[in-house]
Formats: sequence, C-alpha cells, structure tokens
Amino acid sequence: MWLDRIIENINYIGAIALFVIGLRIVVTHSNLIKRIMGINIMGTGVFLFFVAIGNVTGGVPPIVNPEVEDQLFINPIPSVLILTGIVVVVSITVYSLSLVVKIYENYKTIDQKELSKLISEENNEH
Amino acid sequence: MNIEQLPIINLLLFLLMALVIPLLKRKPFKITLILGFVVLGLVLISSGYLLWYVNNVEVIHYTFGGHEARFGIEFIVDPFSALFTTIIAGLAAIIYIYSSGDATEGIEKTEYGRYYVLLFILLMSMFGILYTNDLFNTYVFIEILSITTCAIISIKKKKDTYTSAFRYVMMNELGSLSYLFGVALIYMATGFTNITLISESIQNAYASYPVNIIVALGFMIIGLGIKAAIFPFHIWLPDAHSAAPSTSSAILSAIVIKVYILVLVKVLFRVFKLDILNEMNISTILLVLAGVAMIMGSVFAIAQKDVKRMLGYSSVAQMGYILLGIGLLSFEGLRAAFFHILSHGLMKTALFLSVGEIIYYKKTRKVNDFDGMGFIMPVAMGVFSIAALGMIGIPLTSGFISKLNLGVAVLDQNQIIFLVILIVSSLLNVIYYLPIIILAFLKNEKYRYRLKSIEPTPRTMIAPLVLLGVLIVVVGLFPNQIMIFIEAAANSLLP
Amino acid sequence: MIKFPKMKIFDSMVKSNSYLVGLSMFLLVYFIGFVGNWFGINETIVNSVWFLNLLESRWVDYLIVIIISIPIIGAVVELKYGENSVKHRDKSVIYMGFLTLVIIVLMYPIILNKTLLIEIPQIFSIGLTLRIDMLGYAVLILSAFIWFFVMIYAHEYMTHEKKTTRFLFFLALTYSSVIGAISSGDLLMMFIFFEIMTITSYMLVIHGQNEQSYKAGYNYIIMGLIGGFLILTAIILLYFNIGDLRFTSAIAKLDTLGNLKYWIMGLLVFGFGIKAGMAPVHVWLPRTHPVAPTPASALLSGVMIKIGAFGIIRVATSYYFPSREAVAGIDDPLWQAATNIGAIIIWSGIITMALGVFLALQQANIKKMLAYHSISQMGYIITGIGVALYLGYEGAMGLTGAMYHIINHALFKSLLFMVAGVIYYHTKELDMYKLGGLWKKLPFTTMTFLIAALGISGIPLFNGYISKTILHHGIVEAYELGHPVFLYAEIIFIVVSAGTVCSFIKMFYYVFLRKTDNEYKTMVFDYSSLDIAMWSMAIIIVLIGLSPSFILKSLIIPILNLTTYDPYFIEHHIAHMNVFAYKDLLMTLGIVGLGFVIFILGKKYHLFHLHLPKWLSIEYLFFLPAYIIMRNLCRIMYGDRCPMDKDDFAKLTEKDVEKIGFIDRFIITTNVFNRRYEQSIIRSDAIIYTGFLTFIIILMLITKL
Repeated sequence: MWLDRIIENINYIGAIALFVIGLRIVVTHSNLIKRIMGINIMGTGVFLFFVAIGNVTGGVPPIVNPEVEDQLFINPIPSVLILTGIVVVVSITVYSLSLVVKIYENYKTIDQKELSKLISEENNEH
Repeated sequence: MNIEQLPIINLLLFLLMALVIPLLKRKPFKITLILGFVVLGLVLISSGYLLWYVNNVEVIHYTFGGHEARFGIEFIVDPFSALFTTIIAGLAAIIYIYSSGDATEGIEKTEYGRYYVLLFILLMSMFGILYTNDLFNTYVFIEILSITTCAIISIKKKKDTYTSAFRYVMMNELGSLSYLFGVALIYMATGFTNITLISESIQNAYASYPVNIIVALGFMIIGLGIKAAIFPFHIWLPDAHSAAPSTSSAILSAIVIKVYILVLVKVLFRVFKLDILNEMNISTILLVLAGVAMIMGSVFAIAQKDVKRMLGYSSVAQMGYILLGIGLLSFEGLRAAFFHILSHGLMKTALFLSVGEIIYYKKTRKVNDFDGMGFIMPVAMGVFSIAALGMIGIPLTSGFISKLNLGVAVLDQNQIIFLVILIVSSLLNVIYYLPIIILAFLKNEKYRYRLKSIEPTPRTMIAPLVLLGVLIVVVGLFPNQIMIFIEAAANSLLP
Repeated sequence: MIKFPKMKIFDSMVKSNSYLVGLSMFLLVYFIGFVGNWFGINETIVNSVWFLNLLESRWVDYLIVIIISIPIIGAVVELKYGENSVKHRDKSVIYMGFLTLVIIVLMYPIILNKTLLIEIPQIFSIGLTLRIDMLGYAVLILSAFIWFFVMIYAHEYMTHEKKTTRFLFFLALTYSSVIGAISSGDLLMMFIFFEIMTITSYMLVIHGQNEQSYKAGYNYIIMGLIGGFLILTAIILLYFNIGDLRFTSAIAKLDTLGNLKYWIMGLLVFGFGIKAGMAPVHVWLPRTHPVAPTPASALLSGVMIKIGAFGIIRVATSYYFPSREAVAGIDDPLWQAATNIGAIIIWSGIITMALGVFLALQQANIKKMLAYHSISQMGYIITGIGVALYLGYEGAMGLTGAMYHIINHALFKSLLFMVAGVIYYHTKELDMYKLGGLWKKLPFTTMTFLIAALGISGIPLFNGYISKTILHHGIVEAYELGHPVFLYAEIIFIVVSAGTVCSFIKMFYYVFLRKTDNEYKTMVFDYSSLDIAMWSMAIIIVLIGLSPSFILKSLIIPILNLTTYDPYFIEHHIAHMNVFAYKDLLMTLGIVGLGFVIFILGKKYHLFHLHLPKWLSIEYLFFLPAYIIMRNLCRIMYGDRCPMDKDDFAKLTEKDVEKIGFIDRFIITTNVFNRRYEQSIIRSDAIIYTGFLTFIIILMLITKL
C-alpha cells in the first residue's frame, strides 16, 4: 500500500530529496563553489517539483499531432514557467561564480572559514 | 493611449532608459543624467496620476498579449500598488538627484554608466513586483531585483564588497528558492499562479490539502523574511549596506527591503486571506519575529563603530516595526505599517544621504569621527539630526506619527506587551542616535573657523537633503492627507 | 556699624533695567489693585463695553499664540544682533520678556471670565488644543515674573561667560516652550512642548561645555526623553481607550478599564515626575545644577521642575476627576480611583522630601545643596497633590497647598540660586566650607539671602510659612478624614521642615557669618542688574508673606472653583483661612528649635561631613540587579573561556555611579555581546535558515493538525 503511494509520488519525493541534499551542502560545506553547487541542487529540486506538478499520467508532450485525436497532454504551463526559472538560476550561478573568482583574486582562498578569519583580522587591524 | 497601458509604459520607460545609457557612452555624461531625470519625472507623474485614478475612478486590470489571466500575466493597479509605486518613484527621484551631484562615493568614473543601468533595471523590477498579479511573475521580478541589487553592492570593486555581495547572493538565493517552492506548493494545490484566481480557490484547497498550504506559507514567510531582513535572517544586510555606495545604500535600505515586505503583505492578505491566517495563528509567529527584531536590531546597532553598519542595523529594527504592524493582521496595523514604510523610507534616505555626503567629503565612516561635524557640514548634519530625531520618535517628525499609529494598532489587538517593546526600542534608538547628534554639534568647535574653507557642496546634493528634511517634518505635521491613500491601500487588501 | 564703600555701577544697562523693573513692579501693583478692587478699577474694567466686546470676539483666543511666539521672535532678533551688538542683543531678550509679562498680567480679567481656547484640528491626525484657564494662568504669571527677573539677571551674569548669544537664544526658546506647555489644552500638545523644552534646556545645561557638563547633560536629556516616552505610552493608552486627549473629565470611561487606569496614571506621574525631580527618578537634578550656569539653574529649579508638577496636577484634576455635573458628593464611587492614586502620590512625595533634605544636609557645594532642597520642596508639592487626590471631593486644601507652594518655591528657590550665582560671580567658589564672612562684603546679597532662607524655612511673615502651613493642614486632614497611617507622614513632614531650617542655618553660618582668612579684598561693592533682579524677587516674597490671603483670593480660589471640589469646603475652610493661628505658630517655633538643635549637634559631631559610600547612592542601588547581570554577562556568555577585556570589566565593576553611569554600562555590555555574537550569527547563515524553516513549519503543522 505505502509502496504504491511512494511510487505514485516518486517525483515529488525525489524533488524534496534533492532540495534537502542541496541544503545540506550549503549548511555543512565551507567551500564557496560547493555552496553554489548546493544552491543549484536545491534549485533543481524545486524545478523538478514544479515540473512534476504538471505531469499527467499517460500524457504526451503538448505538441499537437494532427493525425491522432483525443490526445492526453501533460500540463505545459509548469514547464514553461520553469524554463524562465532555470534561466534565472543560471544567471545567478554565473554571477556568484564570477564573485568567487574575484574573492579568490583578492583573498587567495575560497574557504568560508578562512575567509571570515581573514576579514575579522583585517577589521581588527583598523 | 489608453490609461490601462500606463503601468506598462512605466516599466518600458525604465527598461528603455537602461538600454539607452550604454548607447550614450561617447556623449557627455550630463545628457544621460538629464535623460534619466526626465524618465524618472515622467514615471513619477504617471504613477501619481495612476494613484489619483485608481482612488477616484476604478482599478486597472491589464493582461499581457490578450491571454486570459489563468495563462497569461496580469497587471493590477489598485490603491495598494499605485501608492507604493508613487512612493518608490518619489524617493528614487530624490536619491537620483542626489547621486547626480557627483557623490556616488567609491565608484570609478567609468562605472557610472553601469551604475545607472543597474539603477533603472532595479526600479523596473520593483515596479513590476508591485504591479503584477501573478506569483510566478513576482518570482521572476524578485530575481531580477536580487541580481541588480547584488551587482550594485559589488560595483565598488573593493575587496570587502565581493564577500558581502557573495553572502547576499547566497542568502537571497535561499530566499528566492523558498519562495518559489511556496509558489509550487500553491500551484499544486490550486492549479493557478494568478493571485486573484488562487484566492478564489484557496479555501477549498486548504480544506483538501492543508499540509500543502501550511508548508507553502511557511516557506514563503521565511523566503521573503530573508529578503526583507527580518531579524534572524538579517545576516546579509549590515555587510551589504555598508559596502554599497551611499546612494545605493539609501535605495536598498529605504526602498528595496520594503518591496519584499510588500510582497509578503500581498501573499498574506491577497493569496491566503485572513481566515486561513487566523486559523493557523500566523499572527503570533510574525509578532514574535517583529518583537525580537525591534529589540535586537537596536542592540546590535548600539555597538557598531561604522556609521553605515549602524544605520543598517537600525533598518533591521525598523523592519521589525513594519512587521509588527503587518503581523497584527488588522486594518489599524496595516495602516500603521504602511505609514511607517513611507516615514522610514524618508528618514532612512535622509540618514544615508547625509552620511553619504559626510563620507564623500571627510572620507570617514567611524561614528567617533563625527565630533564637530555639525560645524563643517551644517546642512548634512542638520538633516541627519532631523531624521535621527524622527527615528527616535520625537514629535513634529513623521516617526512620531508612526509610533502613535503603531501603538494604537497594537492596543487595538490587545497586545499590550508590544507597546512596551515599542517604547523600549525607541529608548535604544535614543542611545545610539543621540550621542552622534550631540557630539556633532557641540564638540570640537575648532572646526568652526574652517567653515569658509570647506569645499562647497553642489546644489544637487544639498537640495534633496533639504527636501527630505522638510518632507519628514511636513509628513509629521499633516499626516492626514497621506493617510487617505494609505487607508485606501489597506482597505484594498482587506475584504 | 558697617561702613559702605563707594558704590560702583559698571553695568551700562543698569539704568534701563531699573526702569523696566520699576514698570514691572507697577504692573504688580496694578495686579494687586485689580484684585483688591482699588478705586473700583476692577468693576470699571470688567463692566466696560470694550472689555465685553473683547470677551465676545474670537480673536482674543489668539493671545495664546501671541504669548508663545513673542519669545521666539525675541530669540530670532537676538540671534540677528548676535555678538556684534551685545547691548541690543541683551535688550531684545529683556524687552521680549517684559512684553510677555505685560500681556500676561493684562490677561488676568479675561481669563477670570473666560477660558481661552484654540483648536487646531487635523494636525497630527488627532488635533491639538491650546487652552489657558485659571490653573494654567497661575503658573503662567508666576513663570512670566520669574523669567523676566532672571533674564535681567542673566544678561549681566553671562557677561563673564562665553557664547552668551547661544545661551540667550535657547533661554528664549525654552521660555516659549514653557509657556506652550502651560497653555496646552491636551496631553499631546503638552507632551510636544515638553519634548521641545527638554531639548532646548539641554543646551542651557551643557553651556559650560566641559566633561562634567556633558556628562550631566547626557544624564539630563536621557532622563528627560525616558520621561517623554513614559508620557507617550500613556498618551497612546489614553487615546486608544478614551479617544480624546483634551483635558476633560474622563473618569467615567477610565473606570471601566480596571487596573489599566492606575498604570496610565503611574506612567504619567513617573513621566512628569522625572521632570519634577521626584524620587527615585530625581538623579539628574543634583548633577545638572552645579554645572549649569546660574540663570539656567534658577529657571530649572524655579520654573521648569514646576512644569512637571503642573503636568501631574493638570492630568490628575482633569482625567481622574469626575465632572462637576456627574458627582454626587464625597461618597461618590467615581472618587475611588483618585483616592487610590492619591495615597501613593502622598507617600512618594513624603519619600522625596525626606530624601532630598537628608542628602542636602551632606552637601558642601552650595548649588548641589540647593538642588537637593529643590527635590525636597518638590516633595512638599507632590504631597500636596497627593492630598488633593486622596481626599477627593474634600481635597481642596491639598491643591491649595500644592499651588501655593509651587508659587512660593519658585520665588525663593530662584532667588537662592541667584544668590549662589552672585557668590560664584565674585569669588569663583561654590564650596561652602571654603567660603566665609561674606556678609560684610555683600550686605545686599546677604539680606536677600536671608529673606529667601526665611521663606524656605517657613518662618512667619515670609511666604514659605503660609504654604507649608496649608500643606500641613492638608496632611492633618488626610489622616483625620482618611487613613490614620498618614500621622507618620505628618511626623516626617515636621522633621523634614526642621532639616530644612537646619540646612539654611548651616549655609548662612558657613557662607556669610563665619570668620575666615579670606579677606576678599578685591571684591567691589557694586550695584548691577543682578541686584535689581534679586531685590524685586525678595520684595515679592515679603509681600506674599505679609498678606497671605492675596494669592488665595486672586489665583487659587478661582482654580478651586473650576475644579470639582466641594464649594462649601472652599468657602468655609480656604477662603477665610487664618494661617496665623497660635497652633501653627507654635509648631513653627518647634520646627525652628529642632532645626537649631540639629545644626548644633551636626556641627559639634561633624555630622555634615558624614558621606555615605558612593555605591549606596540611589542610582546604584536602584539598578543593582541590572549591574550584576551586566557584569556577569561575559561569564554567562563565554563560560570559563571568558576573554574579558580588563578595561571593560573594570568599568562594569566600578561602584561610583558618578564615573560610569547606567547608560555607559549598558553600552559596554552591548559591546561585549556584540563581539561575542555578531560575527558568529553572520557566519551561520544557512543554519539559521534551516533551523527557522523547520521550526516554523513544524510549529504551524502542530497548531493546525
């Protein structure tokens, strides 16, 4: 019984699992690039969740085929929305990666802990 | 031209301006400035007209491309969005005039063009957030806003701006994703992203999928809370605001974080509606967050040595005031919160701009270096004092009216403990604002003799400061004229 | 026989000032004549057609605006002349004060017949009211006279100080805000003027601009603003529950609020009490006075702290009194709230007066001693207010005593401060034990001092005696009509009066009588504006002392008639009161005797030099728990690894409140807190997010499911 329910909702569960994995990476890792990856994985989780909502069992992609009648389409709107979302997250990723490059140029480290240590030392000097 | 198209034209004007600036690169920079000012003026006029129109004639609905609302994107101009777009346009115009006075501190000359491009995109996205009636569209605009804000924070190309920008990106991305997750959950339960359509079906959805709605609300509160710098999520704010150039600090502190809290207002009152909120006891959560923010923001502000960080923490405390008004979930509360959004916008702008002028000329941002500053820069310090007294809540300033309204709203919901917190928070404000004023005007009078030797401040920097000082007092004296619009906005949110 | 040296007049303006003071004395005579109806002057004016027309016209209300704005105009004119023309500058201030005085004195017949009222709707979204009735007028005329004399005194005194222009400018602004606070018609308006007064008078306090005055000034403004916030809280509570802030009876609505009405009154009493120097929130007062320039102390003690007491009276007798129509008599349950509040106010007044005198006896600094006496005398006034509330319908005696003592104390205390100022002006010394033998050098000053001292000690034929006797009657009534426990209040009252007598014997002995090595050879015997101002106040003190019923008849009975008191009681017990009854005189004799005994004992056993340890001071004890928490916060936060900053820790453990005040300690604590937590909060960004997200969602799920 519960196995059926899990299989039925497998895409939601997968999405949430991705979200949690991403969050865990952001929380536990201090490497800046890994944190960006974590955010990306979280984002993917959310997108997967969104797309999964639009899924209709047995549906086909919403491309009208004139030869077949009474087709069952999946809901195209979430997919369309998520296209925008992916673009946004890509741009954010690019931006934060470029920031990491700049940080590395200036501080010679991309580790969050070392970075905060460096910054607090700098502040104390002033 | 149809009046329905006016909001779109506002957005397009901003976008066009952002496009035109790089094209004018070879022309003198003055042309860009004047053109930008014309654009801002036009937008201010049109938003003012829209404000009048929606309050007196009817609410404007506009759907893009003629698609019906459930597929397409819908813009709504109602008293709520019209009021706040007008406020944003007004404040932005003041800050724009100031920044044209050559005081975009710390930015290299070649970056000016880029700074203004970012500024106009920023304004565009804020207008979009307020006008749109679609949750996903709001998300897109929020992301645009995040990226531009972040770019503005790191525009100075200094070491510490990168780290603070990075922290900003991380936190805000967490916030955005949480918000998007909330939208997804709502979409799952209702099948819409259009706010009006969702609100029609949310009761049914709540009955059949309560967990979805609750988790969605939780995610959205946290997500928008991060962006609006509500206390435990304020982490990114002090660094970011102190790193940014003064003019953009003013925009960030006075406008941008308010926009996020307005999104929260929209989500709470338009999407979920009071019934669900009351059933879930959201009020308590919001009020506790607000109370903690009001006290802790001020406590952290007291210990700051850097004046801009101090102002940043003060914003955290003031966001607590606004959240307090919203968390009461009543008409009085909303009214007080909206008024405080306006009055805090005015006061924080004045504070950041006057501090910006001081930083520009004196190259210092340590609180201790403000001794005797009143003699060197009387106008800047005078406006600073008016705004700081407003923050404390001295009568004759708009801050006093905010406190009065908040106090009455708090009592109306029988939450007397928050009245105490309000007063304690004001006292903490006294502790960190008052010594600055006193020292600036009374210590180190040796500067007085150098009065003539100081660099003359451009009129474009003095005029906005004076205007802000006057506005703070005028709004404090005659709040009723503005209250009409604020009450209409609050009414449009409540059934 | 004293041989008077040749008098030296060195003040160029002394002549014009003398004329002005002469004119003001003429005004006083006119006022007395009007009240006494000499030559039928009263009837002539009141019955004349133009006076009736004036009463009818609505323009007469704008007199309030005029008297508030005259000092502001004077201040602006004064600023225009500035340092360029000292003479014109001083004149603009003085003439402005005189003009205000003239208008206020001439207003008397109008106020007697009509309450001036201006309503400004819309503003502040609540609307404001300006109002002058008899209660306000009594304080107004008192302030006008004292302010005028102090202005004359000030311009001369300030010639030796720097930045006189600024001082006079803020003095004038403070005057305006004082008039505004008195003539406010609602609590919000009063609060606004109060805040303005706090800020402008701050500039007077820190005029010396040295480390000490900044410290005292900071203390002053913080306490003032705290008081303001307490009043603001009360305003919000009142506005929400009553919906109207005008000073009208609101007890019917307040009675439905249960205990909240006591909270509101408590907030108001503390809020105004901070200004009035009520214990235990008096701490700013003894610090402020020694550092402020003498004219500022004279006005602070003479007028501004009275505004605090006036605020309490105003609020109590309007909001907490039933209206005349609603009240049935003394047993009306509507009086219950006033009675309960009154009992508490009486005791806080008694504590204030005892504490003030006790601390005053230990002081060596003249101004500090006078400041503690101000606290003590404010205790008398607050006790009077308490009696006025406690006895409800029959409490007229308490209000009479309080109002009378407000008037008297304003007169003799500003005069005493002026004397202290003259002493400082000539000797640059304020320590009592270092001065001596001044009566030969400053005979006029000695005489004015004697008059003021006799006034404050409550000797018959001087003004203090009358009000103290009335207050004593009030306390006696409190235990006869009310609870017998107030018998102890009476005993404390008598002891405190004896302490006051002793204190001034001590001051007279040490400063004026005693022989010292100091010869003060260089001191010149002069006649200047200082003396004119002091003599005129001394004359008023004696005049009041000689005819006790004048003030009662002219100012206080009209106040009582407007307040909800038993008309029979007013008519029989107050209007025809004989203060010179043998019983009262006998008691005074006893008090004076006791005072002498204390002085002799104190001098013999050096009791006056007995100083309590610093950490026993009120401020320290009052905030002791907070101090202990703050001191140990570092340990609490860090545990054993407390990397304490030696400097900060030393500051937090400092027992002397004079060195490190409460606010400083608080700031140090927040610094420690900040160092510990700010960065770690910032670092744990994602953890906070995760934690709160889970917490809030679980919380919401639990509430729902």
